[in-house]
Order: sequence, then structure tokens, then C-alpha cells
Amino acid sequence: MIFDPILDLFRGKAITIPPLDGAFRANTALDDGQVFADLPAADNLCLAGGKLHATSDADLYVLSEDGGREKIMTFAAAVTALAARPDGTLAVALDDGSLIESGEPVALPKGVGCITALAYGPDGSLWLANGSERQRATAWVADLMEKNASGSVWRRKPGADFSRVAGGIAWPYGLLPDGEEAIVSESWRHRLLRVGAGGVTPALMQLPGYPARLTPAAAGGAWLAIFAPRNRLIELVLQEKHYRFDMMAQVPRAFWIAPALASGRSYLEPLQCGGIRTMGVHKAWAPSRSYGLVVRLDPNLIPLESLHSRANGSRHGTTSAVEAYGRLLVASKGGDCIVATEDA
Amino acid sequence: MDAIVRMEKITKTYRSVPAVKDVDFDLREGEIHALLGENGAGKSTLTKVLAGVVEATSGKMIYQGKAVRFATPHEALRAGIAMVFQETSLVPSMTVAQNLYLGSEKFLNRLRGIYISAQQFLQSLNFSVDPTAMVETLGAAKRQMVEIARAVHHEARVIIFDEPTASLTPEEKRHFFALLRRLKERGVSIVFISHALEEALLISDRITILRDGELVATGPTDTFDRDKIIAAMVGRRLSGALYKKRDVSQLRKPGRKVLSVQDISMGAMVRNTSFSVFEGQITGVFGLIGSGRTETFKIVSGIYKRDFLGGGAVTFEDRPVRYYTPAEAVRDGIAYVTEDRKSEGIFETMSIGENLFGGLLSAKRETGTVIRMQAIRDLAEAWTERLNIKTINADAQVVELSGGNQQKVVIGKGLVQKPRLVIFDEPTRGVDVAAIAEIHQIVKALADQGLAVVMISSYLPEIMNLSDRILVCRQGRIVEELSPVEATEEKIMYAAVH
Repeated sequence: MIFDPILDLFRGKAITIPPLDGAFRANTALDDGQVFADLPAADNLCLAGGKLHATSDADLYVLSEDGGREKIMTFAAAVTALAARPDGTLAVALDDGSLIESGEPVALPKGVGCITALAYGPDGSLWLANGSERQRATAWVADLMEKNASGSVWRRKPGADFSRVAGGIAWPYGLLPDGEEAIVSESWRHRLLRVGAGGVTPALMQLPGYPARLTPAAAGGAWLAIFAPRNRLIELVLQEKHYRFDMMAQVPRAFWIAPALASGRSYLEPLQCGGIRTMGVHKAWAPSRSYGLVVRLDPNLIPLESLHSRANGSRHGTTSAVEAYGRLLVASKGGDCIVATEDA
Repeated sequence: MDAIVRMEKITKTYRSVPAVKDVDFDLREGEIHALLGENGAGKSTLTKVLAGVVEATSGKMIYQGKAVRFATPHEALRAGIAMVFQETSLVPSMTVAQNLYLGSEKFLNRLRGIYISAQQFLQSLNFSVDPTAMVETLGAAKRQMVEIARAVHHEARVIIFDEPTASLTPEEKRHFFALLRRLKERGVSIVFISHALEEALLISDRITILRDGELVATGPTDTFDRDKIIAAMVGRRLSGALYKKRDVSQLRKPGRKVLSVQDISMGAMVRNTSFSVFEGQITGVFGLIGSGRTETFKIVSGIYKRDFLGGGAVTFEDRPVRYYTPAEAVRDGIAYVTEDRKSEGIFETMSIGENLFGGLLSAKRETGTVIRMQAIRDLAEAWTERLNIKTINADAQVVELSGGNQQKVVIGKGLVQKPRLVIFDEPTRGVDVAAIAEIHQIVKALADQGLAVVMISSYLPEIMNLSDRILVCRQGRIVEELSPVEATEEKIMYAAVH
């Protein structure tokens, strides 16, 4: 009804989050999976030259099929994005805003300094997601709490410079090139977008968490990593501007009422009374700040199934998933490991 | 203890379909006897025979040592058998006291005297109900109390309670159970019908379980436990090809999310429930009567309104919606096929075509200013053929059709609206077996065409046979989602009653 927006001023807009049902039905697949490799703050999985590469803060590792790891490089700042060409050439983005390709720095357009995702298209184009114009990539939680929507997607065609494809995106965090277009995960609006010459169109809405990296699935479609859950308390805080800014000014960032890559490690963390633990037992269905979730999408981006590490699990903060060595490997940044599942 | 009532080989058929078949049942003096079974198991029919609401087709009933046959509830009440219905039979425009004394008034009544004696009587039962209050102003629980008080007031020797605790709060339930125990001490025999197994195990002396109209188990309560009761309630043979086990390799994959219901509430009937419905799938919704499943989907289809404050959110095709009338939902592409076809689904005295045309009008799919009778006839012919509606001609009035064919008209009325989400609420209730198979085919075909289909049913084999995913509703919310791969009747029932 046309009066609903006016009535909402008086009755308050419902703060709700989409249920974890259908393809998102909760399970313990990520916690049941074996640890492929222990890696602190594991992030950015990608295959280059048939070998799995992963990052851990500023370190870049190559991981063998048995999970053995070899550090091949330490960068000046934390690695925020990683992509590989079919020939094995690596593009590495750092938290200081720089981009390195084949070991050489790449000139970036003005305003690009928060690279959250990189991907090579089949034509050799390099797609780049710039998460924010106001924050660095590692300060993602501040960008969310400021409710910024200054992210952009860029494309560098072979032999050309970067050109802006889309802007005004609320933290683009994953890229999946699809011909002349790309699928982008827009974290703060919990959705996937299709961006290209035709503009920006929503491709999948109302995700139950904050989407991160996208990688292609061998059988068609894609894997989408979701790095944190939506939570009604956080949604409420996001609506309360004065509270939010006071919290950001006065409370250490680790203890903000905000999504997290891991939780439950300090008694100072915000809790919802008995909502998380009851009689010392951590409830699996609790509305926690962190979660682990990887979703299998079909070629039309319809969710088919999902792998979870629930509130009482430990493989949280899933930022990246890739099919490698005949398995699906999931980087759990909050769980400090790479998990292997048999779902690939 | 001697049996105060003995029912032998009781059979009751409706249009040659047996609701209860050759059931032996006995009720002893001063016992509480729990009668359990799924919806449609025959519990209510058996007790209605006992209370004279319906007459048995065959069988014998012995009450206090004499063979009896009650033609009316009044006869049974005079003999000392009272029934407290789930939906109360009080007169809303009369006071509590007047309802208590209804049917047993003296020639000259002094209202003040009635109120005083009603007050004393209600106090003796520990019921905090004002005898001068109009019944229409009372909540469900208090109405239930008045109903119970009326049965006790008539000095019934046998009282039948049909789902008495469904509308009571935990505190009221405690009072109610204390009352049952006091009645028992006074030698009153009680038949207690409930879906709450804990209550049956807590309060009853003996338990009888019916399934598909037949007696499957009876015995002292201490010989039963929860699992044994559930197994007896659902352990039926699957009835032939109609309800053969689902081939799980043929499950439909979910399509786009069409409907997302998030934390919707409506009073005490629907409480913070959340779920999604996907296109190209049949989403089965199971729940016992009073679990809030119908109310939930009536909110979705704009028939009921969710709470004004804190009522949650509904998203249809990625668009937030809040319907104030069913017509808005129909125009958006939501068709609700009602469980109560007679009062909500069809215009009985209109023809098939006129009913179908009504569906078109409500969806605003008929834009002409002049109604052409030929268009109505064409519509009737097309849908009569498509849904295989058996009728003498397409001009026939709907009232002349059988239950199954009436149901097909209700379905057709929804489908002419070209919906994207179809909600079937108990579509096979009161429908013969042949029509059930046809309705199932229609439901499956809609899902195969890519529509989002919701199938609400309280018949477990139907849910298991049709659904691509199963939602279980209990106490106003969806409490469990099961895949047909893992679902068993026991698991579904367990979720529905725990």
C-alpha cells in the first residue's frame, strides 16, 4: 500500500533477515570437513599453473595436494586479493592500495586503493573490485558501519587501461567474469549483481549473510563464499546512526556490534544475553557475529546447496572457496585453516 | 472398574467412505481415557457417535449396562453424556450464566439468582470467569472454561473433551488438569482427545489409538511411551499406488526464491515464523490442527493481516509486500486454494463458468466492460476439459457436482488467475480417491511447469508423496524443514508434536 512507508515511520520498519532454509538449510559440512592446511587468517585461494595458491596476511603460499605449504613471497602489506591467468601469471593486490602483476607494480586509476577482488576473464581482461573509496580493504567493518556505498568495478581489457564498469556498489567483494559482463558480490546489500555495458542489474537478492568471493564450479555455475551472517542485532545497530558512531568512537573495533570473521574468543565481545550460550552450551542456531557458509550456485545463479559452519562451529569467516585437487577447498579466515570437503 | 460405556464394532460411513470401521471402545467408570490419532483418524467421529451428534451406521453401544442409540446430542446429554467441542457451542450474545443454564431453565427465572448460583458453581471449579460477562467478549480459553463448566453442570457421567487444551495457556492447563482429576474423583468418566502426547501421557489412565478409522492399540497409559504412540499413530500401510513411496531421485530442484517470509506474527496463532518458497518445487507444509499453518498462508495471501507492530516482513519475487486485501495478492500472482471450499471457495448456486470467471475478475484479467456469456461458456469448457471436471454440461451449478469436482472448480478458479505461487490448503479433504489422484496430478503438473506450489496437508502420506521439501509447523511457526530423502512419518510427526 502506498501509505506503508508513512506507517513505517510510526510502527517501525521490520528488521528481519532471510531464513536459512531451502538450499541454505543448515548443516555441519564445513565443521565435518578435514583440515587441508593450517594457515593463520587463510584467504584468497586461487589456482595458478595447476597449483593452489593461498594467502595469509602478507604471505603468499603454494599448497601441494597433500596440504604441504611453501611460502613463496612476503609482501609489504596484507594481501587483499589474488588472481591468476591461465598461464600462471599472478595478480596480487595489497592493503596499501597497490596492485602487483607478474611481480611488477601496476598503475591504478585515481580512487582505486581498496582492492577486494581480482579476476581474469577468458579474453585476458583483468576485472578489479574496489571495495571503497573511504576505507582500506582490511578496514571492511568500518566501511560497513559507516554504511558506505562507494565501491566500484573496473575492467582492463588486453592492451588497454582500466575503465570503470560500475560504481556506487556497497563493498564489492567477489568477481566472476561472464563474457562481457561479470557477476559481483555486493556485501553490504547482501546480493549478487550482474555488471557490464548494460549497466547494473541484481542477479541474486536477499542472501542471509555478507557475500565474499565467487569462483567457477567445474560442473557449471559457481561457488559463493559468505564470510559473515546477518543478524538482527547488527541490522538494528545499522539503523541507529548515533549509537553506531558513538560505538565506533568509543569501543575497540574487535568488540563492535558488527559482523566478525571469528567470535567467542573474548568475554568482552558483545552477546545477546542468553542468545548465544545457555548454561555454558553454545547454541548452534544462535545469532552469532560470525559463521561459515559456502553456497553452490547453478549457471543461473540459483542456490542449489550450501556448506555451513554454524554458530557453535569454528570454521568461520569463509572468504574464498575453490575447486582444486578434486576437492572443494574453503579458506576459513576466522578458523585459521583451509578446509577440504568432498563436494567438488 | 466396570465399563460405563462399551462400543462394539462401531462403523460410521459418509457417502460409503468409512470414517470409523469396526471399532471396539470401552470407557470405565472414573477413568480418564485418552483417544489419540492423526487428523482424520476417526477420533472425532467415534466420540460424536458416543455423544449422539451422529448416528453409527452399524455397531452396538452399551451405556450403564443397557443398549442405547442416541439420535440427538440432547438425548445423550439427558442420559449423562456431554461433549465439549473444540469449537465452542456457546451462544455468544448471552451471558456466561445464561449459557450455563441454557436448556435447564425453570419456568420463571430470576436473573440475579442465576448469576449467584453460576458464580458459586464457577468458583467451585476454580474458574475465574465473570458469570455476567457476555460470551462474545470472552477469549478462547474462557469460552472453553464455560463449555467445560456447562458439561459439569449438567451432571454428566461421561464427558468428552475434543482438544480441550489447544487454546489454553500453561497456567490454565494446570487448572484444567486439576479439574479433570477432581471430576475423576467424583466418578466422572472422561474421554480426552488431544494432539499433545505429553498431556495424554500425563493425565490419562488408558490410551486408545486410532488410525485410518481403525483401532490399532489400546491399553493402560504406563504401557505406552511417546515413541510407541507415534509409531502406532502413523504406522499405516501405504494405501496402494496413490501414496507409494516417493522416488527421491526424481525430486525437483529449487528454482528462484519466489516467496520469503521473515518473522511474521499474528497474535498467538502465528509467531515469528520464517520460511521460503521456491519456484518449480512443491513445498509440503505439515502441521496438526491449530498449528497455525493455514493462518500463516492466509497472511501471505492477504486474507489475514499480520500484526501491525512487529509483524515481520514478506517478500514476493524480491519485492516487499503487505497485502490489506486478498485481491492485491491475487493481482500479484498468489492463488490460495482454500480448505473450506463451501464457504470460501465457490459460489454454490453459480455455474462452473461463472465461478471460473469470478477468478478472472478478482485477478483483473478480464478488462472488458461487458460480460459476454460466450466467454464464460468457453472458459468453462476449456477448464472442464483441462481439469477433467465431471459434469453433465458446463452450465451445471457447482452445488450439483461431487466434492472432488467442486474442489477442481476451486482449483480452476485459482489457476485462471495465472498465478506464480499456488497455495493448496488441504485440497483433498472430503474428496474421493479417484479425484485425489487427479488433484495430485494437477499439483505435480503445476510444479513441473515451474510454478511455486505450496501443499498444506495434515495427511502424512500425501505430504511425503508429493513434496520436494517438507516444512513442519507447530505452535504458530515453522519448526523443521526436511528433505524427502531423510523424512519419515515418525520424524515429521515428532517435529509436529514436540
